[in-house]
Order: sequence, then C-alpha cells, then structure tokens
Amino acid sequence: MEETDFDSDRAAEDYYYSSADDATRDGAVSEDADWNFDSMEEEDLLDSEHAESHKGSDRSYRILKKEDVRQRQEDAIAEVSTVLSVPRPAATILLHRFNWSVSQVHEGWFADEDGVRKSVGFLDHTRPFSDIDASDRITCGICLDPYPPAEIFPAGCGHPFCRECWGGYIRTSINDGPGCLTLRCPEPSCRAAVDRDMIDKLAPSEDEKKKYSEYLLRSYIDENKKIKWCPGPDCECAAEFDAGGGDSWDVSCPCYYSFCWNCLEDAHRPVDCQTVANWISKNKDQSETQLWILARTKPCPKCQRPIEKNMGCMHMTCNPSCGHEFCWTCLGDWNNHNSCNGYNGTDAMEVDKHRKKANKYVAKYAHYYERWAANDLLRQLALATLHRMQTEQLTRLSSVQGKAENDLWFITEAWAQIVDCRRALKWTYVYGYYLSENEGAKRRLFEFLKGEAETGLERLQECADKELQQFLDDDGPSKYFEEFNAKLKGLTAVTRTYFEKLIKALENGLSEVQTTGTSGEED
Amino acid sequence: MIDFSRVQKELQECTRDTEASGIKVSPKSDNLARLIGTIPGPIGTPYEGGTFQIDISLPGMKNEDVGMVINLCGVIGGFLFADGYPFEPPKMQFATKVWHPNISSQSGAICLDILKDQWSPALTLKTALLSVQALLSAPQPDDPQDAVVAQQYIRDYQTFIGTARYWTETFAKTSSLGVEEKVQKLVEMGFAEARVRSALEAVGGDENLALEKLCSV
Ligand SMILES: [Zn+2]
Ligand SMILES: [Zn+2]
Ligand SMILES: [Zn+2]
Ligand SMILES: [Zn+2]
Repeated sequence: MEETDFDSDRAAEDYYYSSADDATRDGAVSEDADWNFDSMEEEDLLDSEHAESHKGSDRSYRILKKEDVRQRQEDAIAEVSTVLSVPRPAATILLHRFNWSVSQVHEGWFADEDGVRKSVGFLDHTRPFSDIDASDRITCGICLDPYPPAEIFPAGCGHPFCRECWGGYIRTSINDGPGCLTLRCPEPSCRAAVDRDMIDKLAPSEDEKKKYSEYLLRSYIDENKKIKWCPGPDCECAAEFDAGGGDSWDVSCPCYYSFCWNCLEDAHRPVDCQTVANWISKNKDQSETQLWILARTKPCPKCQRPIEKNMGCMHMTCNPSCGHEFCWTCLGDWNNHNSCNGYNGTDAMEVDKHRKKANKYVAKYAHYYERWAANDLLRQLALATLHRMQTEQLTRLSSVQGKAENDLWFITEAWAQIVDCRRALKWTYVYGYYLSENEGAKRRLFEFLKGEAETGLERLQECADKELQQFLDDDGPSKYFEEFNAKLKGLTAVTRTYFEKLIKALENGLSEVQTTGTSGEED
Repeated sequence: MIDFSRVQKELQECTRDTEASGIKVSPKSDNLARLIGTIPGPIGTPYEGGTFQIDISLPGMKNEDVGMVINLCGVIGGFLFADGYPFEPPKMQFATKVWHPNISSQSGAICLDILKDQWSPALTLKTALLSVQALLSAPQPDDPQDAVVAQQYIRDYQTFIGTARYWTETFAKTSSLGVEEKVQKLVEMGFAEARVRSALEAVGGDENLALEKLCSV
C-alpha cells in the first residue's frame, strides 16, 4: 500500500481498506458486542398469548401490539404487588425504579427494604395534617387559601394542597415530560411519592391521564432490553427478540416496514450493522464534498486555498484577498514564468497524486452511491405499488377476471418479494463498495451472483407490472390468466431463491472462492 | 395563568416580616406580574452593606403568548391551560450589578436550581429570594453563570473579594438621598425631569442604575 497523503485521517481511512476491516467484511455478519442476553431475566421471557410469533428458520421474534405491551406491563405490576404485598400503584413505582425487571425489584426490596422505600418516597406511616386552625380549616400550601379538611388531599405525608393546586402541579409536571413518573409531594423538603392513584384522582383532565399512561408504557419499552418499537412511520407495534435468535436481526412488521432490530435502520442483509453505520455516516460526511473539491481544484501555492480551474488559460489568479498569480500546470510563480516544463516540481507532483487518487476515490463512491440510492427509490416505488394492489387493484382484477380476491394473494406476494429484493439489492452495492479491490475472484463471483439475481428480479417485476396490467385492462375473464398465475408464482419463487443464494454467499464472505487459490490477484 | 390572589397573599406576608428578614417585595407597577425584590447583602461577605435589587417577572399568559399557548397546550373545554406562577418558577435577575460566579456580571442572570428544574409551587417569592441571598454567601464556582468571575474566584480569591467589594460599594449602596434630591441631582446633570422620574421609577429608586439607564438611551 502507498503512503497516504490526505489531510483528513478519515478520508485516508475510507480510501484504503485496512486488512482488519477486510476481515470483518469477509465475515459479513459480525458479532454485536453490545448485545448481551445474560442480562435478561427468566420471567421476562413469559410468552404472551396475544403475540404473533415468528419462529421460523432464522427468525425468532414476536410482533407485539400496544395492548400486548400494556398487558405485559400489567402482569409485571400484578406480580410485584402480590409478592411484596404492596398496592399496585406502589408496585408500579418500584418497577419503574428497577427498570421494569420483576426480579430486580424483588432482589432490591428483600436486600434493603428501608433503603428502597426511602429512595422512591414511600412513607412508613401516614401522617395527619399538622395545622388545622381554630375555624377547622386548613391552608393549602400552594394557593394559601383556607379549605375544610375534606377538600384537602395530602400525598400521605400530611402536606396539605387543594384539588385545584394538585391539578396545576400534576399538569405542569406531565407537560414537562416523563419526569412526571417520579413525581413527589410539592413541599420541597418532602420526598413523598405521588403515585398513579393520586394522578388518576387529581389530574385535571383525561388528557393528562392519557399522557401519563403513555409515558409509563414508553418507559417499559425503553427499559426492556428485548423489546423495541417498530421505527415505521405511525406504527404502534413493537418487536421482541428471544434469546438465541438466528443469524439475522431483520424484522418484518405487519405495517410492511422491515427493519433491523439491532440498529433500527432499514433491514440490511447481507451487510452488517457496522457497515450500514459506516455507510450512512459516509453519506452524511462533509469530507466527501471536500474530496470533490480536492479532485477538481489545486491549492494556491501561496495561501493554500483551493482554486478551481474554469478557463482554458494556465494563468491562475487566486482570490482577491491573496491575489497570487501562478501557473496551473507547474504551480510556479507566474511572474518568473518563462516556459512550463510540466510536472517539474515535487509540489506539483504531490498535488497531482492527490488529484488522481481523489478522482478515483470519488468516482468509485459516486458509482455505488448512485446505485444504492436508485434501488432505494425503486424499493419505495414497489412498496407504493404493493399498497395500491391491496387497496384497489386486486378488487378490480377480481371483478374483471371473475376470481375471488382470496385467490389473488400471489400478486401481493410477488410485490412483497420485489420490495424485499430491492432492499437487499440496495445493500449489495454497499457490500460491493467495501469489497476490497484486490479480491479479484471474489469481486467476479459477487458480480456474477448479483447479475443473476438482478436479471431474475427484472423478469419478475416485468411480469408483475406490465403483464398484470393487460389482465387489468381486459373486458372480461381471460383464458390466459391461469397461465399468468403459474408464471408469476414461479418467477417469485425463482427470484427468492436467487436472492437467498446471493445473500447467503455475501454473508459468508464469498468464502467459496478462497478454496480456488489466490487467482484474485491477477487483475 | 398567574394566581394573583396568591401573589397578593405573599406580598402581605412578606411585608409583615420585612423587619426580621430584611427581604422586600414590591410591585413594579399596577401589574402584579412584574415585581422588584430587595435583599440585603449577607454579613461577613463582600456584599455586606449593599442592597441588591432583583427584577422579578412571573410567568403567565401574556396577550401576545395566547397563540403559542393554544398550540402548546391545546384548547380543552374552552379553557386555555397554561399554568403560570406558582406552578412555573418566577424569573429573577439582578437589577443591581453584582460580582459573583453564579450571577452574570453583564445581565444579572442567576444560576440557581430552584429557579429552574428544582422549583416547587410550595416555594414562595420570599423563600426564593432567601435562596438567592444564601447564594451570595455561598458561591458555587463549579457551576458558574459567569465564567470570568468563576475563574477569578478559583485562581485569585483575594482579587475576587476585592472586586466584589468594589462592585458592592459602587452599585449596591443606596445613598441616603430622598427621591426628590435624587431627581434634582440627575436633572442638574442635564437630563429632562420627566425622563429622570420614569428612569428612577423603573429601577426602583436607585440613582446609579437610573443614571446608567438615562445614559444608555
Ligand atoms: Zn390550593
Ligand atoms: Zn409532603
Ligand atoms: Zn411497524
Ligand atoms: Zn442493523
């Protein structure tokens, strides 16, 4: 490898592929260090009957609806409430304090009950009001108005506040965010917990109660290491991964959004989470723009500011603030410039080396980026078509061709397959970008498998699109429809196989070619 | 919305024991949403002998805020819900210039937890002002509002004490002059009487602050 002479370490790192990086990429699915099942508790693995299970060949996750999550939460609360014989609102506070882990609550409680009580603001005993005046009235600690005892609501600690002031206090806290889940008595010296019963009794409107219970639900998911919300737009489902899952984190949500459970990006087989993260940050990175500049400009020999050549003449003049005049070809001072000998100075050679590398690098990045972005667009379009199929086209087709809508599922399946393929294809370009230039044989196998899969996909899409259109445009049932049915099903299956083969091969780091020797170096 | 009935009760309560606490709160105008608090500099500190004025503004719903409040809180049952003071903390800043690590020497802004996230509606303007007074006695240079002052406090404590005392002498000592004498003094300096009177009123009668105000226009 040559010495790097880019200014930016990052650019240099991107430009050359270190052998360590190659090792990771070759084993495309890397171990994710932050994932640790040891921290999960037995009782958290309770099955939910409401949950839709996806235990398949390489899937081991469940999709949970919001109600399922709420049910889990209620179950945990009930368990703690029974075992510690505390009221449910108190159990809720304890679970929130111990990251919603039943076993951690039990452990903490039995180890140091007094300490836990104190830290969450439970009182040893209820205290009476301290200052009832002669007229049998109590002054609210916030509005300072006197009230009869029946209109004063203490949090068990005896600090007196009227209903209206509680309402304002609770509303302000709930509007401030999830901190309301650890609300305390308004008296600053008092740490008495304000529990869910108090909130339900004293919140000024249903709106606050709803927000509070939403925060409570969110906190359950946020603290739970095994459940994550689907990042799909407006989706209210969550996905739970079981211990010992397969080799993929991909989740297909009923909302048709497929995401990686581990990194929450768009599902990204065959590349791993780290590669996706690198790619995404590369796309955002300003250094890419800087490389474009590097490729098209030369630094002014005096002030080093990049100067873009946009006219035919070699006589360059830097920006007015510098004003240095120099020759574009040799970077020599224009005033002492008699004839240019081309690349005579070492400076000029250095700059030229920069430019060539940067040009090549930028061209390569642009090549893969364009195809990655194009396939993402095609995926989105296919997803839109899938929705259109489900909402209108299938109904129309069913009436034109005289088929039951239930018998047309193969069309939905074909489009769902197209969406999946576009997603996978998109990531193969990222894979290709990071595949070492030196691995000639791997590169050829990669291109071959990708080409095969792409051809299959084009055929499938042609059939699911144009051929289907003819049957939609028919005046009545067509005798060729059964044939179309078989063809589309067949193409769907074939394409799925091609893509599975491609993904498996890439995830294995194209290890097939390693047995054939080092023929890769010939390019 | 501001609970004005509570503010009124607080003012009465505060007036009752001004003798003991030395803390005063008075409305700036007819509107109880803007007030002036006065605290004596704590004894045994470089602020001793000074009288510090603090601008207080109570959060609530001002007319120009109505649109924003509707967006933030929604309209429920025809009521606009924006819990102002005492559910939101009062905004306080020093009107008297003061040299202290937790108070901006430029704007007078105060860095104090109970005026932010540690506020509770069971606190009052008086208790808040007592906390500000306690802050004068016990600076916390690790959590500074004014980095320059904090640096000086940490690196060169003696100079800090000197500067703080000088600022107290210069800005926080109210002269024994009566209002009319102050007006006359400022008018003699060449300012119009009406402007002098409104300037003095705006800063709570402090002639130095009034002079600064008159010069800054
Ligand atoms: Zn009250
Ligand atoms: Zn209390
Ligand atoms: Zn979803
Ligand atoms: Zn991922």
